[in-house]
This record gives sequence, structure tokens and C-alpha cells, in this order.
Amino acid sequence: MTPAIEFREVTKVYRRALRGVEVPALTNASFSVMPGEVCAFLGPNGAGKTTSISLLMGFFYADYGEIRVLGYEPGDVRGKKEIGFLPENFAFYKHLNAERLLKLHAKLAGLPSESVRQRCGELLAKVKLNGYESLKIGRYSRGMVQRLGMAQALLASPQLLVLDEPTSGLDPSGRKDVRELLVGLREQGKTVFLSSHLLSEVEQICDRVIIISRGRVVKTGRMQELLVAGDRVEIIANGISPEIEAMIRENSGTVTASETGVVINVGLAEKRAVAEALWAAGWDVIQILPQRNSLEELYMSTVGTEGGVA
Amino acid sequence: MKIRALAFQTLEGFLHNRLVVLVLILASCIVLLMLLPLWGMKAASAKGMPSMEAAVLEMVSGVMSFVSGLGSILAAWGAADALYGELKAGTVLAVMARPVKRWEFLTGKYLGVMMFMAAYIVLMMAMSYTVVAVAGMRIHASPWELFFYPLVRYSIYAAIGMLFTTLVHPVVTMGMMLALTILTELASPRSFAWKPGVAWLKTGLFYILPSTELLTEDRFLSLRQAALKQSSWVEHAVSLTYGLDCALILLLLAMWSFHYRTLRRD
Repeated sequence: MTPAIEFREVTKVYRRALRGVEVPALTNASFSVMPGEVCAFLGPNGAGKTTSISLLMGFFYADYGEIRVLGYEPGDVRGKKEIGFLPENFAFYKHLNAERLLKLHAKLAGLPSESVRQRCGELLAKVKLNGYESLKIGRYSRGMVQRLGMAQALLASPQLLVLDEPTSGLDPSGRKDVRELLVGLREQGKTVFLSSHLLSEVEQICDRVIIISRGRVVKTGRMQELLVAGDRVEIIANGISPEIEAMIRENSGTVTASETGVVINVGLAEKRAVAEALWAAGWDVIQILPQRNSLEELYMSTVGTEGGVA
Repeated sequence: MKIRALAFQTLEGFLHNRLVVLVLILASCIVLLMLLPLWGMKAASAKGMPSMEAAVLEMVSGVMSFVSGLGSILAAWGAADALYGELKAGTVLAVMARPVKRWEFLTGKYLGVMMFMAAYIVLMMAMSYTVVAVAGMRIHASPWELFFYPLVRYSIYAAIGMLFTTLVHPVVTMGMMLALTILTELASPRSFAWKPGVAWLKTGLFYILPSTELLTEDRFLSLRQAALKQSSWVEHAVSLTYGLDCALILLLLAMWSFHYRTLRRD
């Protein structure tokens, strides 16, 4: 299957000719996103996220490497027909109203004019801007502009959505709406490439994660696989004797009380011994689960508190 | 379809641009002030018709030179602003994410500027005809000459403005435009002779630089049929083709430059 997005050894260097400075923004970046995946693109500020998105949209040119978007080169109009894009801090023609802006974008997208009016109405209702169709965009709040940005990204029913900070400027209710929208898109089989700093939301909706730091891809994989800490498990039992607890602690394990009993965190190698000891002592083992980190823990352990290039 | 949508969007942007509207209002006020002596002269009807005619011609020529010169600046600045405004606001990102090629985007912007300049010329003509009518006379030049010559001239200025703006900030663009205009004037055959050693440079520059000398509508301005400079269709065709050719080359250079430009919010 052809990936929806593919970066192969992509390098981009910003050159400041007057100062004679070269700033590497992206170095040998390689990753791919398969059709139908919702992919989170994470990294600290200045890590190269917006540069990567600009490269895949054809706004910038890579110095080295190869990029394919829906099988085409970035900027190819055949590919762009199938892409919906929401830039970070979306800006619009302020003298237009929402309906006229969507109609302009529909013309640029080459949509048949007879279906545009109905489509605009549907989208404005979807992003909860119905009733504001005739209000000039210059008078919109930041959140309303962001909602309108989502509507224009969805206008041509694209196969691939590239969203740079889609929840920026939105209140909690707006963020929830966007989250539901993205879940709906995943169910429709659309590919979503999403850059965001809201890790808890990303964790809920994304299938794949790409973490970038200082212009390099430092981690990539399926969300479920990455969040599983491979060398540790959690054993949930209905109780524990002091002897077993001491044994666990000696082996760098932890024991915490919970509503259902105790949660024992041990290394993978001790799993069987601990479970057998519990059974032998007459306790029930309710569940054995691979230990799961949160995305935030994964992110922090991967990039720490470091920033990227400017 | 896409180019047309971009052109109309650009035109609409101009009509909502407060600075453009302010400049047009100020220009209209200046023209009205320039008309005051004419009305005064007409009221003092003791003056003879020939002296009145000379005064009107001088007045119309002055008004037209002012409005026409302002038009050149407006065309260059309008083209620069149409492009830079998109880059500055970041609206270019949403537009270029659509299946629009870079040359289509630039062509749409350029045509939008030219539509605005066409409207400006119509206003300029209306003003000229009104001035002459106030004096009880009429302009004998053909309206199409008064329309197409400035339009082609403005198309050159707009293309230069657009080309420079693909490379530098609009303020620098306007500075470069000024330098280019001065250099073109200096390279003109009617300017002072250069030192013999660099005379070849003057000739070379005259052929390379986009001279708008041929495209001035002043040469058709006459209040008397007898004094009207007659030009053949061939002469018109050569002059206008030269201007359009010049504008086209500059626009193609702008497209080439824009093709390789990084698109980001400036």
C-alpha cells in the first residue's frame, strides 16, 4: 500500500545569506503515514514540525531527500486536490464572511458550483458557525476563526487532512468538538496528520506518533506499541502478604493500594515468580497487564525539556 | 476559474483597503484644488478663447500628469501590496494549499491589480473629460488611446512591482522602482549625453530597461482637431506590443522567482 505521507532522508537548512548563518531545521528525517491513520506529529517548539508540514504542502523545498504526498511530489495539484490543510494561526481575508470565504475556496478547489452552497451550509453547521454566515471574518474571535479553518480544510472532502495545531485558540468545548470531528474522520477512513502540543487529546485520537526533536525524528511507531513499557508489567491482586511485598520491593518493584486491591509493578522477568507467590499465599491475581505509559511520559522521556532549533 | 476567482478577490481586497481609498480621496481633493483656477478663469469671461484654450490644455495636462504619475505608483505599490499582503497575513498558505499552481496565483493577483488600474483609468478619463467640459471644450483624442496607453504602461509598473516583491520587502521594492525610474530617465535618448566612454552603456540600458516613454497618453492630448497628433494603427500596435511584451517578460520573471520562493508568513 502506498503511504499517504512519506519522508525519506529529508534535510532542510535555512540559510541566512546576509549573516552567513546556516540553521539546520530538518536532518535526515524519515517517516511514513499510512492511509486511514490518524498520526500525531509531536515535538518541542522549533523542533521542525512546521518546517516538515511546509515541506509536505510544497511551501518550502527540501535540500535533500524525497517527499511523497498521496504518491505525488509536494505541491503537485493532483495531490493537493485530496488534501485539506489547516495552518497554524490560520489567517483569512478579513473583509469576507464565512460563506463567501468557503465559496472562494470551493472555486479554488474546483468544486462544482451547484453543490457548493449546500456543502458550505453543512460545514458551517458542523463547526457550529451557523448563524454567523454573514458576519465579516474580521469580527470573529480567535476560536471562531479556528473553527472556520477546520470547515475550509474539510471543504473538498479530502483524503488527507494536515492540521497544524487545530485546537489552538479553542475553549474546552471547542477542543472537544475538534476531537469528535477527528474521531469521525478516522471512522470515515481519512488520513489525518496532526501537529499538537495537547498530548492528552492526541493520545485519545491518534493511531501513530512521530516525535521530532532538533530537526531529527527521534521516535515513531504505533501509539499502542509505543505506550507499552516493554520491560515492566502491572499485576493487580486482591491482597498481598508482607513477605511477598518485601520480596517485590527488594527486586525494584512497587506496591500501591487501589480500590480493587493492590497494584504491583514489577519487571517482566519477575512476573511469573510474583504471580505464583501470590497464588501460593492464597491471593487472587485479577489482572496482569503490560505497563502503559501516558503519551506525556513517553514524550518527556524522549525529548525531555529540551527545545529545538529556532 | 481559479485565476478569475483570485483576480476578483484581489480587486475586492483593494476596494476594502483603507489606504487605497484614502489615497484616492486625497488625489481627488488635489485635483479639485487644481481645478479652482480654471473655474475662476471661466468666471472672468473677459478673457479671450485662445488664451482660455491654452490655460485649459495646461490645466488638463497638469491634472493628467499628476493622476497618471500617481497611477504608476499605485500600480507598482498595488502589485507589491497584493502579493506581500498575502505573505504578511499568511492567507497565501490556505490559498496555496488548494490545487492552485504558483503561476496561477501570481497571474490572478496580477489581473486583479490590472482590473483595479483599469477602473482607475476610467476615473482618470472621466476627470479629464469633466475638466475640459467645465471649460466648455472637448478632448479630441480617441478614448481608447487614453485608456489603453496608460493601462499598458501600468501593466509594466505592476509587473516590476510584483517581480521585486517576490524578492524583497515592498518598501525596498518602491525604493528600487524609484531607482529604476531615475535610471530609465537617464538612459532615455532625450536626457543629457553621457561621457563618450560610457555612451554604449546608455544605449544598452535604454534597450534593457523598461522605458514607458512610448506609452505616455500625453502625446494624444489635444483640444483642437488640427493639433491632434495622428498615429497609424501600425504605430499604435508597435507601441502597445512593446509595452505588453515588456510587461509579459517582467511577469514571467516574477513567476519564475515566485516559483522558487519559500511560502511562509512574513
